[in-house]
Amino acid sequence: METIWQGVVQAIHLLYTRDPETLRVTFLTLRVSGMATLISVLIGVPLGVLLALSRFPGRRILISFVNTGMALPPVVVGLWVSILLWRSGPLGFLGIMYTPTAIVIAQTVIAAPVVAGFTVAGIGQLDPQLALQLTALGASRWQLYWLLVREAKLSILAAIIAGFGAVVSEVGASTMVGGNIRGQTRVLTTATVMEVSKGEFGLAIGISIVLLLLAYAVTFTLTLLQQRGRQPWLMR
Amino acid sequence: MRIRSLAAIILALLLTVGCTAKETKPEVPANPDVILATTTSTQDSGLLDVLLPIFEKDTGYKIKTIAVGTGQALAMGEKGEADVLLVHAPADEKKLVESGAAIERKLVAHNDFVVVGPKEDPAKVKGTKTAAEAMKKIAEAKAIFISRGDDSGTHKKEVSLWKTAAVKNEGQWYQQTGQGMGQTLNVANEKDGYTLTDRATFLSLQKNLQLEILLEGDAPLLNIYHVMLVNPAKFNKVNADGAKAFHNFLLSKEAQEAIGKFGVEKYGKPLFFPDGGKTEEQLTATK
Amino acid sequence: MADAMIEAEGLRVFRERRLVLDVPAITIEAGEVLAVIGPNGSGKSTLLQALALLLPAAMTYRFGGQAVRLPDEALALRRQMAVVFQRPLLVEGSVQENVALGLKLRGVPRAEITGRVKEALTMFGVQDLARRPSRALSGGEAQRVSLARALALRPRMLFLDEPFMALDVLTRASILQDLRRALRSAGMTALFVTHDFTEIPPLADRVAVLNGGQIVQTGTPRDIFSHPANAAVERLVRAASDLIRGLAE
Repeated sequence: METIWQGVVQAIHLLYTRDPETLRVTFLTLRVSGMATLISVLIGVPLGVLLALSRFPGRRILISFVNTGMALPPVVVGLWVSILLWRSGPLGFLGIMYTPTAIVIAQTVIAAPVVAGFTVAGIGQLDPQLALQLTALGASRWQLYWLLVREAKLSILAAIIAGFGAVVSEVGASTMVGGNIRGQTRVLTTATVMEVSKGEFGLAIGISIVLLLLAYAVTFTLTLLQQRGRQPWLMR
Repeated sequence: MRIRSLAAIILALLLTVGCTAKETKPEVPANPDVILATTTSTQDSGLLDVLLPIFEKDTGYKIKTIAVGTGQALAMGEKGEADVLLVHAPADEKKLVESGAAIERKLVAHNDFVVVGPKEDPAKVKGTKTAAEAMKKIAEAKAIFISRGDDSGTHKKEVSLWKTAAVKNEGQWYQQTGQGMGQTLNVANEKDGYTLTDRATFLSLQKNLQLEILLEGDAPLLNIYHVMLVNPAKFNKVNADGAKAFHNFLLSKEAQEAIGKFGVEKYGKPLFFPDGGKTEEQLTATK
Repeated sequence: MADAMIEAEGLRVFRERRLVLDVPAITIEAGEVLAVIGPNGSGKSTLLQALALLLPAAMTYRFGGQAVRLPDEALALRRQMAVVFQRPLLVEGSVQENVALGLKLRGVPRAEITGRVKEALTMFGVQDLARRPSRALSGGEAQRVSLARALALRPRMLFLDEPFMALDVLTRASILQDLRRALRSAGMTALFVTHDFTEIPPLADRVAVLNGGQIVQTGTPRDIFSHPANAAVERLVRAASDLIRGLAE
């Protein structure tokens, strides 16, 4: 109990004094995970829509890959991305190992299937005749996709929240491809693990509280967007 | 409306991922990034947090410290994934030099390992004269011993001590955490067990632990740190200039003094002993 | 003689290798309302969707006398037609946003849209619901909006797939009157699929009977009822008239 109390005090202290190291780590976490989520949405939502609506041979296999991707252990992703980015790896010439870019790449690989999978489910839940009706109204293919995405807004925002949640909380891949380098690739999760391994439990709890607050702030904003203008169904 | 501006702020932050403000440095070298592979215990001691800023300010190089297990650090050297290594596993380091993957292996500093355990000392380690003797007593008493079990420098030292003591480290009493020194000490603390630890980590965590130093000072307990350059002739992506600069820095008077002073203020004793210019043989001989 | 609105030949639709629709020729004259009836599974909706260019079908197709190259010209042609389904299929937003949707998709100038939306809503008596969220409508109101949405487009060809099936008898009767008025005043060409024979007299000029994916008879409603072409059609007609006679007794 004392450690938890210590942790809470630490968290308050870090935030109140605007501890520069904590701020730096927090902003890096937000930038890296935010960027990864953004790219995942740009890849995942169109992919999910296409998978939900098109019919082509191998579609079901592709969807099963996406679903498997949702359950990929982040640490496995980290390992495989490392193998690609190492100097001795095929992409070694890029020299981006141990940079925030590498973390963004690994986190995108983790989040994109999550976003795509939820999108497929969300679009799949729409009335099948709706696509037909919109086509009859004169929607071109892209207009149709856009309208369906709007109709499935609830599910797609859930997809984004899930994607962000998956990456802001992961530590295995971030450690492996980022290296937890102070001032460069140290994020809230890797910092927490490091402090724990040093035995600094109070500080670790403090940092984890900052992480929770960050995750909550972002999720809260997205939830507001998701629920904007919605009437609770049961009230009618 | 508020949501729109919040979204705008978030978007703005995201766009700055690539752009980091650069503080004005002296002459920034062509390739400023130097990858230093070292061990978690080295980083956790805090020594690098003192040394690196000095080096970075003097030279304009930026050190990327990758603190991992000894095994991984050496493997990184073996594959040319790092530019310079700072580790403390002499036997394996020598193998790396023999294979040609590493060059310019030079002694930097040393500290020592100690055997710690519960105050009650059920295995009666206190009073033994050598580490081997202490390990023998622990095995015979089947007292709980927590090992790092992660192929780190500490773990390798521990294994060599069991060997010297000619006892088997097997059984319910011998438990491996596979984790860093801090974690392992915490586990030993929780279970009232014995463990082998480097003095620096122990001192920095002492305030949280109920363990005591029960054996110290025996020659085999020296924990010796060498710096090595990853061979640029073998791996052309290595930042040879940056690595050399760091290598020279560690052996420089400035760094060696800083090493010798490290920890004195906080713990009353130094955590490391600078050995720049000496060789390993000289060190073990004097003990 | 005016050109036929739609002429399709060699219309065949396969579903999982089975031939579900086989219509050698079908013509819809300009200004006429064609009802399509038949038992379940006879291919009525498939026929409607094929002619509305909503599903891939092998056929030669002429619209308003012009040959149409499919599938390249399908989108342009769909934008001259409108379809109303059994369910209203409205999107998230207000009633007027829904009615405006088709107009926006077809590039109608913004200034014109407001007027046409109002006009269409009034046609079906739902102008007071303009601001109401689409989710807050009753079944009958929503279907009226769906019809308004279709007619706001001033289509050259209107397709209706059992548009009243989900509605109760009273609502059905009321909307039917509004639809009839709308069709007649615009001289609209329409094809509508229905189960309910009582919809035929007020709306239809001609009837096509479908069975097993083929058209087995076409003619005026009177023709079909008094001279069913074969046993299948007779069964269909008999069932309907038995019901009506049974009620009258």
